Amino acid sequence: MTGRLSLNSTETVTDDAELLERIRGGATDDFAEIVRRHQSRVFAILHRYERDAHKVEDLAQETFVKAWRALGQFDGRAPFEHWLSRIAARVALDHLRREKRRQNEIGLPELGDDALDWLRSDDEKNELDARGAAELLDLAMRELSPADRVVITMQELEGRSVKEIAAAIGASGVAVRVRAMRARAKLRQALEKMAKENL
Amino acid sequence: MNNRKLKQLFASAQKDAAPAPPEDFAADVLRVIHREPAAPPETVSIFDQLNLWFPRLALAASAVIVVCIALDYGLMAVGVPSLSDGAAQLSAQWLLTPTGL
Repeated sequence: MTGRLSLNSTETVTDDAELLERIRGGATDDFAEIVRRHQSRVFAILHRYERDAHKVEDLAQETFVKAWRALGQFDGRAPFEHWLSRIAARVALDHLRREKRRQNEIGLPELGDDALDWLRSDDEKNELDARGAAELLDLAMRELSPADRVVITMQELEGRSVKEIAAAIGASGVAVRVRAMRARAKLRQALEKMAKENL
Repeated sequence: MNNRKLKQLFASAQKDAAPAPPEDFAADVLRVIHREPAAPPETVSIFDQLNLWFPRLALAASAVIVVCIALDYGLMAVGVPSLSDGAAQLSAQWLLTPTGL
């Protein structure tokens, strides 16, 4: 992420708000700088929902194009990255809904041996590597509804507050809390089922 | 699957690195944006705004009509001439007289 944009030889813009003002004023090419500043964050968010790097790239592009189209609605009261993160979460939600339909047709990928061993093990010291853990979670979360998955991912993997999640998915704080609780229970059941099925 | 194990799974998955954006990703996004047929984001025409407001305006207009009808019936019930009678009386007395309009 680069923090500064050289607009001409004498001027630099470090603030998103200032840069967005220029874009609204017609400097559309400056949007590339907005993309460069926030692309890593958007890729990180979308990677929580999609393991395929090419698909993550497509979803990230969709996120920025949607942000561009909705730029007139950004009022600047919250930081731009929060607003963009909400768009990314909604893009992810739409993607999960599409994938859910596809998943019913093609079935689920298989689980690796390391993840299976960890799942069956009772040894507290036995740790699963980051990639294996992400793959295992990805597979187990396919048992959840897309909205449940977004809630639990934002809460547990991104460390977002209930308020932020509520704003991202357009639900009340109470609804988010209830959904998170149910989602965690379903996830636990899904993991237990996976351990039993693969014995 | 106990809570501790679930927490351990989340903690490990958090460390999973996302793919790095390609070098020309920003340029690709810009190319897509340049192909967009829509107007720049800041230009919202009066017709677009009316379009956005249409459902609310229609609802407000319906509410006003309902209130007027209810008021008319209410006034008739207490003996006050209805709105249509009032309008006819007004036009007969003031507007359609030889000295009126």
